Parts: sequence; structure tokens; C-alpha cells
Amino acid sequence: MLSGLAALVSARTAHAFGDVGAFDPRVVVTGGKRLAAPRSAGPSGWSMELINRTSAPARLVPREVGLDKPELCYEPFALWAGDGDVGGLSVAERRGLLKFIRLGGVLVVDDSNPAQGAFGRSVRRELLRVLPESPPVRLDPSHVLYKTFYIVDRPVGRVLGPPTIDAIVRGKNAQVLLLQHDLLGALARSEEGGFSLETEPQSYEQRQHAIRFAVNIAMYVLCSDYKDDQVHAPFLMRRRAPAR
Amino acid sequence: MTERGFGMAEGVSSLLVWSLAALLALWLGLLLAEGRGRRVPLWVTFSGLATALLVAAAVLRPTRVTSRGSELFPKVVVLLDRSWRLGLKAGEQTREQVELDALHALQKQLKHARVEVLGFGEGAPAPFVESQAGSAERPTDSDLTSALRALSAAPGERPKALVVVSDGRLSSPNENATTETLRQLGTRLGVPIHTVKLAENGLPDASIRRVATTGAAVAHQKIALQLTVGCSGGLACDELPITVEELLHGEPPALLAQGNAKVQGGLATVELPFTLDRAGRRLVRVRLDAPAGDRVPENNLRLLTFDVTRERVRLLHVAGRPTYDVRALRMWLKADESIDLIAFFILRTNTDAMQADESELALIPFPVDELFTEHLPSFDAVILQDIDAVEYKLERHLPALARYVRAGGGLIMVGGPSAFLGGGYAGSPLAEVLPTTLPEHEPPFDTASFEPRTTQAGRAAPTLRGVRELLGDELPQMQGSNTLGPLRPGAIALWEHPDRRAGGAAMPVLALGESGDGRAIALGVDGTHLLQWSELGERGAGRAYGALWEGLVGWLMRDPRYESARIDLAHECRVGAPVELSITRLPGTAADVKVTLERLGENASGAPPLPEKRLHMEGNVETANLALGVLDEGGYSAIVHIGSAPPARFDFACERGGAAFADSRPDPSLLDRIAEETGGVSLRAADAGRLKAPPATHVASQRLVAPLLPAWLWALFAASGIGAHWYARRRAGLV
Repeated sequence: MLSGLAALVSARTAHAFGDVGAFDPRVVVTGGKRLAAPRSAGPSGWSMELINRTSAPARLVPREVGLDKPELCYEPFALWAGDGDVGGLSVAERRGLLKFIRLGGVLVVDDSNPAQGAFGRSVRRELLRVLPESPPVRLDPSHVLYKTFYIVDRPVGRVLGPPTIDAIVRGKNAQVLLLQHDLLGALARSEEGGFSLETEPQSYEQRQHAIRFAVNIAMYVLCSDYKDDQVHAPFLMRRRAPAR
Repeated sequence: MTERGFGMAEGVSSLLVWSLAALLALWLGLLLAEGRGRRVPLWVTFSGLATALLVAAAVLRPTRVTSRGSELFPKVVVLLDRSWRLGLKAGEQTREQVELDALHALQKQLKHARVEVLGFGEGAPAPFVESQAGSAERPTDSDLTSALRALSAAPGERPKALVVVSDGRLSSPNENATTETLRQLGTRLGVPIHTVKLAENGLPDASIRRVATTGAAVAHQKIALQLTVGCSGGLACDELPITVEELLHGEPPALLAQGNAKVQGGLATVELPFTLDRAGRRLVRVRLDAPAGDRVPENNLRLLTFDVTRERVRLLHVAGRPTYDVRALRMWLKADESIDLIAFFILRTNTDAMQADESELALIPFPVDELFTEHLPSFDAVILQDIDAVEYKLERHLPALARYVRAGGGLIMVGGPSAFLGGGYAGSPLAEVLPTTLPEHEPPFDTASFEPRTTQAGRAAPTLRGVRELLGDELPQMQGSNTLGPLRPGAIALWEHPDRRAGGAAMPVLALGESGDGRAIALGVDGTHLLQWSELGERGAGRAYGALWEGLVGWLMRDPRYESARIDLAHECRVGAPVELSITRLPGTAADVKVTLERLGENASGAPPLPEKRLHMEGNVETANLALGVLDEGGYSAIVHIGSAPPARFDFACERGGAAFADSRPDPSLLDRIAEETGGVSLRAADAGRLKAPPATHVASQRLVAPLLPAWLWALFAASGIGAHWYARRRAGLV
């Protein structure tokens, strides 16, 4: 199956034209702390799942980007993952992050060790310094994030985690998604092609739900609130009805 | 001329005169009373009277007054009705010809009067110059009330009489005016108003008397056209069919509504609702099928111009796959409150493995048939972004989409691997409306990165002004380009490829073009989001992206801010009269202006081409008028090219009579009533030479005053008189 996927991926990435707008889960690097294996393979796993399941193009070799680097503002999406306290951001990093958010970028914060929660708490602390006027709020279960591609009921990652997610919402857009589900842990694959980390609790369904949620986040980045458009509402209402 | 008379010495006040008169009266009374009571001889009474008169003369000292001067002819104002309506017939001649004959007769008759000839129509009257009588700037209305109000407010000498020359079909006062209203016309100037009637009887005529609409014209919303149809002059009318059509560019007229006017008592009203889908200036033709015997066919057809507004711009955004480019465009469109966005993105392909049941997907089938048949006319513009026409069954709707553009819709094709050649659009009807050709046998795209180059037209185009203000001539590096062919005639390239060629010129990357009534944009790259998300985009704080799309969508929707010129008619266009275009542009460099005229509607194909007009505007010239000559009846589109900037378009109608011809009946009775209520006389045009001039006024230029006798002599006579009367009274035994 993996070879088939690889062939499909190679076919889709044969030309550079069309790739400039491809989904690119760039990993944020702060204070020289890089994302450690096996989760460092998570972003490419995310891209692969997106390519295999949807029409969206994605970069299979995502790049790293520093919060203090101008490249942060060269694309509208970045991913900030880790498992420990990030420490204090430098002035340049805070300025870069603020510029990225003001340009309309979307940042996913993924706590790789949600049981401890040190990463999540430290990122929230730093975000509050950068965006003091926009504290995180709980996203409503009807938010478009839960229906951008798959109809999902709750956020899921490697761990089941809390049934809701917090986000920094500016205007009508959720621009910073604060996950406590180790999403990259669920997406990371080994070189052999298998998943690197088991889900907690261990189940195929949870893995699938985590992948679906990741696909939904990517679609939210690419299409924003497209599925909130009035034209989709009656259809989705009908489809949700039997599930209740 | 000399006049002679008598007066009194200088310094004699009226108080003195009245006092003297009172004393004389008292004196006379006493004399008469004395005469009756005492039997006074008659000669005593006479001497008393003579003495009183001599005393009075001594006091008043009479003078002889000789006055030299001239007779001033009275000022008479002739108000000529200048409405375009006077082009209608009155017998064998037009009413205007009758009017000029009447004017000549009046001028001949009033040769002992100072005649000022003014033309009235709308607002204040203006001096009438017979050599310019055929001018195109003729009013529709005949507003006599406003003309008289302006005359009464004007400084200078008031006329002694007014003569109104008209057919009586005045807009104010109209046939329903009260007697009091008519009387007030004369009291404004305090002079009689004489009237000269240009026509007595109307011709057999069925006409569209009045056109009104309920509310403003808004795109996609019903508007009701209320028509009043009249039948007069002995013409037999029953049911008269009416057709309402929209005149389109290069297309036959589109039927909007039909109905029948049921004439009763010479009048009928009919309401015809219709919808205009496109915003901007739209030309609507209303045609009345008049019965046989109609002698005034000019008023059976009206060409109406509607300035159709939009509540919101309704856009259809269809994307073949979600990318950052799609995201950027969607977010910009959604952020604009004036845009009503309907979006469809292809989120999966047939080869994708969703690994989920259909019920677990939030996907809906792409309603391609519904969108491109039933709902297509409701959109102001369609954006096709990197979507494969063949794979997503759009191919069969391309003819309808091309018709939609020609009928006034907007189209933007945004690049990507599945756009243009890569999407199967080459050789399709839609390719015909794009601003560039699509070469069928070339690779669909090129992957070499490049920086688009702004063309000379791009530098002049208001469409790119916003981007250029932020970034200058720099543009982000694009990762490849779609293959586009040479520009179609009339299309303009704003960006071009620095290396690739199309035909003999650089390959267009961003091109604009008109097709029929609509506009289309070809954008052969998939990375305009880099104007927001790139090193260069960051320099403009991301605003260059919005500036580009605001310009593109604005140009597509004919937003005046993105047109290279503001165009209007210098005056109403009427058949047989020369018409002028007024062209206003932002001053800058000197530019050559070229105007091409095209007929709208059914005449477009068969009629001979209209000649081009050219003009040179210096750098400091903002507005210039361009004569278009004399045009036939119909709708026209003026396409104005200013230098190398994208052309601006202006649609207008040229009518035979328009509203001025709507009611052909003369109204002599109204002129009779005006004359009667203001103390004037009402004459037929043939009798205009019988009008009597007001009397002349004598104006003195020299006045000589000489005493009849020296003052001392009057005093001597008075003293002698008193003495003689005293002597007489003694003789009569009264002293």
C-alpha cells in the first residue's frame, strides 16, 4: 500500500507549477529547540495523509522555520510542537509571531506531552505576551473545524485528550489552535512506513480519527470557513441528523 | 421731439400750493355767502375773484416749460418654446418652422418695440439665436413657469409685454393648471402675456406617453416599468402590444417583458415587471406596435438607460483543488462585505482514498449542472481557479458560460496546472471569450520560475495602481506559468512573461479583455497569494494582494475607480443632431484618445462599421469633448482607448424624440387661458403679425423753464387787484 501511495505522491509532485500553494506543515523552531524524533516525521505524515485522502497538494518534506525569521511570513501556516517549557521568546521571535498572526496566518500548537502540559502552558503564556488582547477561547462543537472534510465529533490525537480545543480567534478566524492531543505523535511514521507511536488507548479507530482531524485542520487552513457557507448547511444538517 | 407746457416757480412746495388752494376756496366761499346775504353787485364778486387769482399767481409765479426728448419704444419679450417636441409636425411644416415664421411676423409687426427673443425649456430662458436653432442641446420640457420666474428675478428693465410662442403642450403650467395658477404667471412681471399658437389640431397618433419605474434598478431584483399609452387624433386603438427588450453588445436584443395596453378613453396604463441581471448602464428598448394610420411613428419606441446598481457583487468561485492561492482569494472575497460569495471547491478526486464512509464526509457533490444552468445568470462574475473542465464535467457548460460572458457577465480564469490548456479549455467556446488565445498544441504550462513584468499598459491601468503604489514595478517570483497565446483584438496585457513568447510578442501573464457585453480576465499564474505571503508581500504588509484583486474584480464589475476614463454625453443624443462625448481622465502624460463606436442590439451585425474618432489630450488636460457626428436611432457603445490603458466603455441611447415626442397633441386651449387670465391676447401663428405693440414712452433729454412774467410784475398786479377790489367794495357800500 505504501508503495502505491508513494507512486501517487510522486505523480502529484512531479511539477513545481502548482506546488507553490501546497499545504506545508512547517515546524516552528524557537530558541534552537528542534522537534525531536519520532514526531519530527509527523509533518510529512500529515502531508502524505492529505495528499492520499484529498485533492489538496502538500509538501512531503516540510521545512523548519524560526519565529524570528522572515520566512515565517512566506506561508500562511506553521506548526509549533514540543513537550517541555519553551522558555521566554526573544523580542525578535515575539515580533515575528505577531506579524505572522496579523498577516492572517494559522498556527497549530501541538503539545506532545499533554499529560504533563508544560509545553502547552508555556506557549499559552508566551502567546498572551504577544497577543494580550486575544486570550484563547473554547471552540464551539459546531465550529467549521469539525466539518471541513470529515465530519468529526471531537479533537483526537495520539491521546484522546480533552473533547474540545481552545483557540485564539481574531475576527471570524481561529488563528491559533491549541491542541492537547499529541497530533504529530499520531501522524509520525517510521522509515518502514508504519506508525511510530501507539495511540492511547491503543485502537485503529482512534488513529483514523486523529488522521481525520489532522486532515480537517489542513482543510481549514486551505479553505478557511468554506464549509460554513450557506450552500453546505442543509446538506450537512441532513447528514448529521441520522448520527444523533 | 419737443413738448411744451406750464409749471410753477422753483421752490414752491406742495404744502404752499395746498394752503393757497384752501385760502382761495375759503375766500370764494366768503364772497358767495356775502353776495347772497347782502345783495352785493356782481362786479364786486368778480373783482374779488380776479384779485384772488392775481394773488395766487403772485405766489406761484407761473412758468413756461419746454421739453425736448425722444419716444422710447416699449420692451417686448418674446418667449419661444425650444423643446425638442417642436420637431413634430403641424400640418405640412414642423412646429419649429411655424414658430420661426411666427417670430418673423412678430418682429415685423413690433418694429416700433424693442423685441428681445428668448428661448425657454428647462430653467431660465436663454437668448435665442436663429442661426443656432438646430443645436442638439434642446430641452425635453417646456417649463414656462420657471422661465417667467427667472425673468421676474432678473435685474434690468421690465418688459411692457410678453409673447409666448408655443404649441401649448407645456410641462408647467400644464393642462390641469387652475385659473389662479395661470393668473399668477402674469402677476410676476405685472404685464399681459400674449400667446401665439403653433398648432391647433393633433395628428392621429398612438404613443408611449409616459414611462416610470417603481424604485431604483438593482441587479437581480425585479423592477416594474409603468407605461402610459395614449391614442389621439381620431386613431382607433384597442389592444396595443408592447415589447420590452435589453440591447446587448454584439448580441440580438434579449426579451425582458411583453404585454398589451388596453386603450379606453384614449388612454391605457400597463405595468411590465422585469429583471436586469447585470449592473452598470443598461439600455432597454420599449416598443409599441401602433395600429395602421398612426402618423407619428417616432414616439412608438423608447430607449431607456438604466443605471443598474448592485446591493452586493454576487460571485461564484470555483476551484479545482484547495491551495494557499485558493485560500488567499477566498479570504479576501469573504472579507469584503460588498461581495456575496458562492464557492465550490473540489476537495477530493476519484482516486483519493478517504478511508471513510460517505456519511462520515462533509462533502457534497459538485452541483455543476445546477450552477451553470439554473443559477448562472444570477452571478455577476465567475472565477474559475485551476479547475479541470473535462474531469469535473464543466466542459458541457462552457458554451453557456461563454454566452453568459457575452451577455454581460464577468469571468476570471486563474492559473494552475488544471487551468487554460491544462484544464481542457483550448478550442472550447469559453476560450473565445478569454482575452488571449489558447494554443492547442503546446505544453499546458512551464515550470520555470520568473518574475512577471508589468507592461506599459499595466503601468497606465488604474487596475494595477494599488499594487504599484505598494510595490512599484517589483512582483514576486512565480513558480511557473500557464501557456497563453497572443492577445485577442482589443485585449490588453498588464503583466507579461520576461522569457516566454506568444506569437511575436512576450507571452501575456495577466490580460484583460471585453467580450460582447462582458469582461474577462486571464491570469496565467497560481501564485498571486505571494503578494501577501512572501518577502515582497511582507514589504507591503500583505496589502498588495488585496490591492491586486480589488483592481481586478473592480475592473471586471466596471467600478468607475478602475476605468481609464469617465465618459458621458455632453448633451442628450438625438437623431439628426450632432452628439459629443465628454471624456474625463486623470491628468498626467499626454495621450492619444481613440473612440470606436459600436451599435448595440440587432443592428450590430448588418450595419456598416462606424468611423473611429481620435483626439489628442495634453498632459494637463483632464476633460475633453469629442464630436461623434450625427447618429441614427439606436443603442451605442463607445469604447474609449486612452493611450495604452485598458479601454473604458460607455453605452448610450440615441432617440428620435424621446420623452419630448411622447405626447404629440398641441394644447391651444391652455395658451388661450393663459392670455385670458393675464390680460393678453391669444393669436394663431398665422395671425402673429396682428399683435398690437404697447405704447411708447417719452424720455426727456432737455427741459427749459422760463417765467411767464417777472415776479415783481405779478406782485404789482396782485397789489393793483387788491386796491381795485377795495375801491369796488367802497363804491358798493361794503366798507
